[in-house]
Amino acid sequence: MFSRILSRVGLLAALSLAFIMAGCSKEELTVRQSTMDPKGPVAQVQFDVFMDTVWLVVVLFALVGGLMVYAVIKFRSRPGDENKPAIVEDGHGNPLIEIGLITASIGALVIIAIPTLSAIWYTDDVPVEAIPTSKLSVWYPRVEGGRENYAQTVEEQVLEVDVIGKQWWFRFEYPQLGLTNDAKHSVPNELVIPKGKAVRINLRSEDVIHSFWVPKIAGKVDLMPGRKNHMWIQADQTGHYYGQCAEFCGDSHAYMLFRVEVVEPAEFAKWVEKQKSPAAAVAVGSPAEKGKALFAAKSCVMCHNVGGHFGAGAFGPDLTHVASRKSLAGAWLDNRDAVKQRALEKSTGNTENSVPVDPATLKANLVKWIGSSGVAHGADGKMTKDVKPGNRMHYYKMFNVAGLRETNQQFTAEELDHLAEYLLTLK
Amino acid sequence: MSDTAAAHEAPTSTGIDHKKLIMWLFLASDCMFFGTLISTHLLYRKLFPAGFTDAEGHQRFIQDLFSIELTSFSTFILLMSSFLMALAVSAMHKGQLKSFRRNVLGVIIFGLIFLGCQVFEFTHFYHKGLTIQNSVLGSTFYVLTGTHGTHVAIGVLWLILLYFYSFTGKLGGHMGALDVEVAGLYWHFVDIVWIIIFTAVYLVEYLGPYGIWGSGLPAVVK
Amino acid sequence: MSHDSHHAPVACKTELAPERSDLGLYRPDRATGLIDWLTTVDHKKIGIMYGAFAMLYFLIGGVEALAIRTQLARPDNDFVTARMYNQLFTMHGTTMIFLGVMPLSAAFFNFLVPLQVGARDVAFPRLNAFSLWTFVFGAFVLNASWLFEFGHLAGWFDSFAWHKALVYTDFAPANGWFSYAPLSGTFGANGQALRFTGVGTDFWIIGIQILGIASLAASFNFICTIINMRAKGMTMMRLPVFTWMTLVTSVLIILAFPAITVALIELMFDRAFGANFFNPSAGGQPVLWQHLFWIFGHPEVYILVLPAMGIVSEVLPTFTGKSLFGYPIIVFSGAVIGFLGFAVWSHHMFTTGLGPVPTAAFSLLTMAIAVPTGVKIFNWLGTIWGGRIRFTPPMVLALGFIWMFMCGGFSGVMHSSAPADSQQQDSYFVIAHFHYVLLGGVLLGLMAGLYFWFPKIFGRMPNAPVAYLGSALVILGFNLAFGPMHYLGLAGQPRRTHTYHAGNGWETWNFVATIGAYVLGIGVVLVFGNLVWTAFRGKKCGNDPWDGRTLEWSLPSPVPEYNFAQAPVVATRDAFFEHKHGAKKIGLENDGGEAGVHMPSQSWMPMLASAGFLFIGFGMPMMAMGIPHAGWLVISGLGVLFLGIWLWALEGPGGYMLKTPAPSGAPAPAETVAH
Repeated sequence: MFSRILSRVGLLAALSLAFIMAGCSKEELTVRQSTMDPKGPVAQVQFDVFMDTVWLVVVLFALVGGLMVYAVIKFRSRPGDENKPAIVEDGHGNPLIEIGLITASIGALVIIAIPTLSAIWYTDDVPVEAIPTSKLSVWYPRVEGGRENYAQTVEEQVLEVDVIGKQWWFRFEYPQLGLTNDAKHSVPNELVIPKGKAVRINLRSEDVIHSFWVPKIAGKVDLMPGRKNHMWIQADQTGHYYGQCAEFCGDSHAYMLFRVEVVEPAEFAKWVEKQKSPAAAVAVGSPAEKGKALFAAKSCVMCHNVGGHFGAGAFGPDLTHVASRKSLAGAWLDNRDAVKQRALEKSTGNTENSVPVDPATLKANLVKWIGSSGVAHGADGKMTKDVKPGNRMHYYKMFNVAGLRETNQQFTAEELDHLAEYLLTLK
Repeated sequence: MSDTAAAHEAPTSTGIDHKKLIMWLFLASDCMFFGTLISTHLLYRKLFPAGFTDAEGHQRFIQDLFSIELTSFSTFILLMSSFLMALAVSAMHKGQLKSFRRNVLGVIIFGLIFLGCQVFEFTHFYHKGLTIQNSVLGSTFYVLTGTHGTHVAIGVLWLILLYFYSFTGKLGGHMGALDVEVAGLYWHFVDIVWIIIFTAVYLVEYLGPYGIWGSGLPAVVK
Repeated sequence: MSHDSHHAPVACKTELAPERSDLGLYRPDRATGLIDWLTTVDHKKIGIMYGAFAMLYFLIGGVEALAIRTQLARPDNDFVTARMYNQLFTMHGTTMIFLGVMPLSAAFFNFLVPLQVGARDVAFPRLNAFSLWTFVFGAFVLNASWLFEFGHLAGWFDSFAWHKALVYTDFAPANGWFSYAPLSGTFGANGQALRFTGVGTDFWIIGIQILGIASLAASFNFICTIINMRAKGMTMMRLPVFTWMTLVTSVLIILAFPAITVALIELMFDRAFGANFFNPSAGGQPVLWQHLFWIFGHPEVYILVLPAMGIVSEVLPTFTGKSLFGYPIIVFSGAVIGFLGFAVWSHHMFTTGLGPVPTAAFSLLTMAIAVPTGVKIFNWLGTIWGGRIRFTPPMVLALGFIWMFMCGGFSGVMHSSAPADSQQQDSYFVIAHFHYVLLGGVLLGLMAGLYFWFPKIFGRMPNAPVAYLGSALVILGFNLAFGPMHYLGLAGQPRRTHTYHAGNGWETWNFVATIGAYVLGIGVVLVFGNLVWTAFRGKKCGNDPWDGRTLEWSLPSPVPEYNFAQAPVVATRDAFFEHKHGAKKIGLENDGGEAGVHMPSQSWMPMLASAGFLFIGFGMPMMAMGIPHAGWLVISGLGVLFLGIWLWALEGPGGYMLKTPAPSGAPAPAETVAH
């Protein structure tokens, strides 16, 4: 009876395997945060080592698993066995077989140990061979009027980016290029790096442990408070990459996302220039101007910096160019047209292709984000749901700043609209 | 005095009494316990060799705080208590109840003196500005030595109970000697741990001109 | 002479004269029913209670798991809130590890170890009862956090001043089973002790601390029993493999738990007294918490796995009719796994920036630990080879164990490679890996053990068709739930996230995984339900239904209170099998039979002492909540603990003699022998 059951189990296993194989289309292997679609040398090396382990394991699995299936079928009890005398000899095992198998296991592990060791050192810091082409002096173009964008002393270094983790968003700073929070030029949520250049990433945390993970570009390294961690990344294709915090960091951990925009080196220089430019003046009498007044009156300025408008805030994300970014609220809200984006990904088969920011979506996101404090009522009269439970903008109760919810600051629909209009001008 | 009184009459597989064996196992576990605490302290000493800052904002060094003479004295007292404990165990094995009482009373008094020194040390350090809250050094120091002090206090309590129990007339024979011997094992262990703590926490700070962590008061200045 | 003919029924203890302790209190020896269970010092009853509580908590942890899977079935789902989700996965992990697998293993340790080594009880019966009740109360404290959480959500506490003063209002722990500082700890200089999480973490800290005490006490006891109470002729290399694995596990527990105990004390000092162990603003190193946690945490993995390996090493020889292939090397590899288990903790921390040299070292050590694990699998294969496999529910579950554990082991080899692990760590790939090890491996192994020894425990045979159906559903549902997670992890889905956006390509397989989880849930209910039904209504079976190999099968089912009427004398490994089929018979020791079998008296004191932990367990978090006078609860808890231990010591071991049943089979009169 059991062999019948066994054959059915085997059939089931084969079917499910086929089912899984059928599911593994190319599309499934190249999803937004796929580790199986490396787009840079670090991710590539990590993927290669992974595939080494996969092949080793598949071979071992076929061998050991196959033997086991064979043994279970071959040595099942048969009618008449009960009349045979019991097997009473003591099983000391067979030393030759044991030693042989142990040696073979060690040999098998050496196969993966070698690429593992070389990859550990390769991924640790920018490799020597990548430095010559990645030195700032080699690729970062001079802007008219000299090299004011970076100090002389860093010319022969690779680009460094400080990644600062906070509950629940990432801040990016480029100390060599003067884009720092202290200089009121930091970049939240979206890291921009030049294509084909090694970038050294310094990982810092301002509260709990976070982890920096862009699967297609590099495996994760943690942002440990009290420690100075680093990693290096390089992306060999331009595009819009998706990353996420990978270490549990509290209530809204799932909402702590970020993006990496990989651009041509020339475009990168323009982007840096743009980050340093102040926000444009708002038109007199426009809703945006009322929004700007609200921005000051509702104490948004306490935390947020808007270059050229308000300069007091340093705690929250820099909003000088908020309307130019494709995501909002720790990259949880996407400012692009979702339908168009999905169509583009589908037609090109590449999730790194991106449609531009859609102002209508952006505005809706802004209204939703600012207005959803958990105490304010939405347009439909219902209590709004938190976009990010526990987020500092609404919930802050510590230090000397209090969040909107804690100070019971509510916005009317009109006020929200004005604020959004103002923020929309911050391109 | 054991759950397995009858089993004791029959020899155990190893010939070691259950109670003695379980105490050895507990001590093995306690080794890991103190090992973790001591390594926490040493690790932070290496990371932050500078000492601490007191309430007035003055930088303080650890040698500035320690009174090595007092601690040496209390270490000596604890060592001697171990000696008395050994005498007490031996007396119990010979069935000399009076001698046992005398020696164990000595252990209790020495244990209390040690605890008294520690209480004095803690209050003294506290007044000199080292608190559990103002530095990592304070946290590791107080928790490590405090945990050891708790062990000593439990030992003293145990010995006091044994002392009084000896007057009921029920402490005697093989089982009585075993009970005392097990308490003795515990006491010796607590003593040995203190020797390690005294070395790792106190003495090494006086190695070399600036302490082993390379950043303290020059020994001569002190 | 039929082997078990000398096991005649003896007088039940209620016929004995009541016993008074040194204090003049009556011992609860004459108690029956509930009081008998509450005061028992019988390792078999304690084992059964461990098993029952473990199954209860398996179901609670399972419900938490299903809530998690329900939330993740669809993208952007809002079945539970973010915080509730965090609490669910925290409690799911904690429950399954500390309240499910460990107590179920402890149930087997308790029931089997004395029987397998040929002893009449464990070395310290009352300490054993203390371990049980401490576990029960610790588990209750941990889960009571849910009651506070629900009370908070229902608004019962809203009017209290202390509730209004709380900054964070998570009452059930939301810090993960690993409780990484500083999320679980504090920040802010000079003893400000500002926190990122609420009193849930305090519940977690004190709960784990209490459970640690229970595990430590039990482990001391088992090591003593195994080393010191072996029957004559039962040398270490004749011990059944399950007992060997119990020994290794217990040694791991006594050496690993102190690390987490110290870490928890330090974390408690941070939270309660403003110390700076893990407070980054004052120079504390959160990475130290990770080291201390995983120095405990990785041996803990082997604490969970080794008992199941021991069970499988008993089940396979029984149903292949062949002795275990390479017994010495299986024992040795178990010990090597235990030893190496202390040397690989940092592979949980490959992404914390250890630097290349430690990363490489821990990578290689982790690969090395695959060798003894592989050795076990090879030897199980060797045991099957050339045997006559009888397919029974325990055998099918044991084969399932090997298969699933092999899968889990192989994915483990994949992330022993640190560069590959940097993509897999904290992703669903890791979830898949350790569920294959801990659920596909350990749980199937434990289920195999339950079905294997249930006839011995209750003298009743579980229903086989239901067992097969349940096992099939478990294996099918399990693979459906966790197989796809390998893909999800590689597709970049991080763990511990309560939701995800549509468009990341994770929708389909998350939905499949949820279906699998429900199938698995039905299977587990069938498997456990079958057992509960069997305990009360199952078909009675003989003493040795499987043609067993070790000493316990030589005893009547259910096993009498005194286990062995006369202590056995063992001449070989697999003693009972040899006794039945071979030349080497089990001898009977003449251990003063006329004086009778010594039985320890029952006692209330272990439970009283444990109750002290219940008070402390509630008092500490209530202090953290700021409830007035909660400190008195802690102080009274310490008092109860001390009182319990004091009365325990004074009441003495007690004990009475049961006259050995006469070999003729005639009921022997029982008599009390004064102590």
